[in-house]
Amino acid sequence: MLKYSLKRILYSSIILFFVMFIIYILMYNMPSGYIETKARELASRPGATKSYQEWLSDLNAQYGMDQGVVRGYLTWVKSAVSGKWGDSWSWTIPVTKEFHNTVWYSFILGLISFILEILIAIPLGITAARKQYSFTDYFTTVVSMVCISMPTFFLATILKYVFSVKLGWFDLSGMQSRNYMNLSSFGKFLDVAKHFVLPAITLTVISIGGLMRYTRTNMLEVLNSDYIRTARAKGVPEKKVINYHAFRNTLIPLVTSLGGSLPSLFGGALITETLFSIRGIGYASYTSMTQGDIPFIMFYLAFISILTLLGNLISDLLYAVVDPRVRLS
Amino acid sequence: MASYNLNEVLKNRKSTQTGDHMALDDVSRVKVLSPGMQVFKRFIRNRLAVFGAGILIFLFLFSFVGPLFYAYGQKQIFYTFQPQNVNYALAKENTGYNGYVTDDSLTVERPVDNAMNSNIKKMIAAGETEMTVFGEEGGYVIREEAPHIYTLSVLEMEKVCSAGESTVKVGTYSMIGKSFEAEGDEIPGLAEAAAKNVKGAAGSFEADGVTYTFEKGAKPKTFDIFTTANGITYEGKEPGGKFEDSLAAAIAAGETSFAEGGVTYVISSKGASADVFAAGEAAPAKIYTNFTVDTYEAGGKVSADFRPAALSAAAGGTYPASFEADGASYTIEQDGEDMLLVRDEAGNEYAEFGLFSIRRYSGEDTMAYDLKKALAAKVEEMKAGGVMSDTLDAEIPMQNEDGSYATDDDGNFILSETTMKITQRLEGEYVINCDQINYVIDMFAPPSSKHVLGTDGDGFDVLARVMYGGRVSLMVGFVVVLIETFLGVIMGGIAGYFGGWVDNLIMRLVDVFYCLPMMPIMIILGAMMDAMRMDTYLRLMVMMAALGLMGWAGVARLVRGQILSLREQEFMVATEATGIKIRARIFRHLVPNVMPQLIVTATMGLGGVILTESTLSFLGLGVKHPLATWGTIINSVSSASAMAHYAFIWIPVGLLICLTVIAFNFVGDGLRDAYDPKAKR
Repeated sequence: MLKYSLKRILYSSIILFFVMFIIYILMYNMPSGYIETKARELASRPGATKSYQEWLSDLNAQYGMDQGVVRGYLTWVKSAVSGKWGDSWSWTIPVTKEFHNTVWYSFILGLISFILEILIAIPLGITAARKQYSFTDYFTTVVSMVCISMPTFFLATILKYVFSVKLGWFDLSGMQSRNYMNLSSFGKFLDVAKHFVLPAITLTVISIGGLMRYTRTNMLEVLNSDYIRTARAKGVPEKKVINYHAFRNTLIPLVTSLGGSLPSLFGGALITETLFSIRGIGYASYTSMTQGDIPFIMFYLAFISILTLLGNLISDLLYAVVDPRVRLS
Repeated sequence: MASYNLNEVLKNRKSTQTGDHMALDDVSRVKVLSPGMQVFKRFIRNRLAVFGAGILIFLFLFSFVGPLFYAYGQKQIFYTFQPQNVNYALAKENTGYNGYVTDDSLTVERPVDNAMNSNIKKMIAAGETEMTVFGEEGGYVIREEAPHIYTLSVLEMEKVCSAGESTVKVGTYSMIGKSFEAEGDEIPGLAEAAAKNVKGAAGSFEADGVTYTFEKGAKPKTFDIFTTANGITYEGKEPGGKFEDSLAAAIAAGETSFAEGGVTYVISSKGASADVFAAGEAAPAKIYTNFTVDTYEAGGKVSADFRPAALSAAAGGTYPASFEADGASYTIEQDGEDMLLVRDEAGNEYAEFGLFSIRRYSGEDTMAYDLKKALAAKVEEMKAGGVMSDTLDAEIPMQNEDGSYATDDDGNFILSETTMKITQRLEGEYVINCDQINYVIDMFAPPSSKHVLGTDGDGFDVLARVMYGGRVSLMVGFVVVLIETFLGVIMGGIAGYFGGWVDNLIMRLVDVFYCLPMMPIMIILGAMMDAMRMDTYLRLMVMMAALGLMGWAGVARLVRGQILSLREQEFMVATEATGIKIRARIFRHLVPNVMPQLIVTATMGLGGVILTESTLSFLGLGVKHPLATWGTIINSVSSASAMAHYAFIWIPVGLLICLTVIAFNFVGDGLRDAYDPKAKR
């Protein structure tokens, strides 16, 4: 197991190396003179602490864009591995600091919707599988399909329209009310929580469909298996068949897939956070991307790629942990 | 064994042995369907899939056939007549005097021209009817000819003398010869005094109790010496008689002119001294008035010659006076205290000079005479009542397509009713605003029979945009899925068939592409293309290519997995044994067996691509205006206020996106179940 994990980690880092290489090529091909323009702009900003030449040499030292693609990439890898991610261009603070400022909002938002998703989708999926071809089943199938097919921006806009514009329950966007500064610390907490309601609903609805279908399919597979038939033949009460025999076995694929999605909780929700102006990492990276903030983009994409690879690793390892029949080689 | 084709056997049996009973093992008992038919039958048994297919067919007809029958294009801008509250006119008591040239052979100095307004006001304040002013080059006479009409005349004049303190040159002193040359009469002792005192650049000295000043002369080392003379210095011939007494009296009284011996003299005072001129003829050059002209015909314009001609006639002070302008003759007469009326030859009222001007904000004079009169009366009423604002119901012309005024067949303006609001802005100045019907772009029109889904912020018909947008959205979906599948089948096929290091290499590439975060990369690409100001059609191509390039990894994985299991089956051994070429083995024997799964994944993928494309377009990073896609249509009303007010635009389009993706997913599900009934649990 340890050997397998080490092998996988090594293998993942090689993949990461090439993924970042592709992204670096993309950055390298930014419109010509981009770095120079950016350095000039950064140097002429109010409160700029570095001159144009300093910025330019900084940027080149870190991103190696004055060298060839490969050598430049190696320069970047070297500084990235030693933890030098540089200063963000659009946030004007070190990239890692901006990351610290934002990532926890994203994590909280992600966690809330993750828990809601599990609480709603799994019971519904199991109910649908138990009563296959019933009205409940069809209803669940259609609802999950609608959730899967719903564009995030459309759902967010509808929620805003209904709850913010028509009913006036929530603010349209942002994380704080106007009188945030006058509130007590508990009041501040409630205020932010209130602003997280619509984004959390959006994220939950978007993700609920997939998990529901997955649960239903797996539950159906388990219910059709021989040991369930055996249990029923033995006269085990139906409740016990479902809750003990079937549900536990359904959990195997569910746990692996959910465990695999745990790292992505840190990755932020690009579209949702942007639409609701939640200052999470998704919003920060979206702003950086549209403004061509190379340091932050490189950092964010590396981060996302690591999360993806980590998720795959976790789900593979969990598979072996949860299902004793699986042996990793 | 005549035939293995059971359907044919069945047909033959039917034709030969009708009515015969069949045996239990009779082949004709089994009704056999072709594999395609079987899939189709299973597919149509699935209600959701049929629903999805129906929606898709409808959407394709709607997007690709619909525009052919729909009257409007995607970039057709619609206009409408709409009342707009405008500052329509400004009513003002005219206090400024405007000058019109009556004799263009005479030139009036600009400073004199500019000072006319204040000079006339000075005259009014002093109650004078005539005033002499001096410019740099000459003198002018301002004369009140009739109420509100003043003439400015150029005065012919000749200098007679200077009176009061004046500086007189007495002579020139040369340093070289130490000589003094007197200008007029010799002054005794001056030459010696000059020789003693003149040094430096300029200065003064005294001699015999008289102060002299000197300064550098025209020649080198020479000095001009001046003295201040008090009294009258004549230029030429002295007029004699009582001239000097009259002059002194006039200066003492502060008058600017006096008459003596049949000659009029004018005095131009400069500080303590004054120049006296004998005045000759005064020729009128310009005529000034604070009257404004209103023609009786609405929108009528008077020519440049009309005003000076009319005013000159009126300046005579006897009414009615006649004048000619532009080859027509008119008569001008007084109409009330502050008003002059102009009649044309037939005696009809043609125009009016008044003190109250009502002009459109645009500067055009297009208002009807009656309306002007009504407004003027209203303003009078407001003034009398001390009211700051009031309203007046009136009719004003509508605007036309090209911004001009709409006329009916007889050439009359088409009028629309409106309520004018008159508000006092300054003393004697009133702003008139009202709703004017203008021809404007029909923005954000709510749904109507003309525009079923209304119009958007550019005046485009939303339904037309949705149709054309559907074309692009569906096309993007198909092209991207085609690229994905093409790349995926080739890469997956090669990897699966050859195995070994080829497989390893390709699968590592797949891993890398699988890990690439698609949405961020698409956003970065979009931002880059923004920076390059790329053409919108080119953007579309780049976007499709990028989406296709990033999506092939999944297809390749699927194809490889299938081929790995198929490779071991007997029919593949048979192809090897019969020596079929490798390419044919992969693409004619293996790939067709992967087809069902490919079709299912492609169908499901279509929905995903449409979602991605619409999200990108919604963020403004995908396809750009004016090319329509469903995402851009929603993007155009994505701001908070537009979203709140124009729900009739984004809700139908959003539902359409949803419906399309659902339909693709339903059909994909249905196809999977139909291809592989065992998989349906």
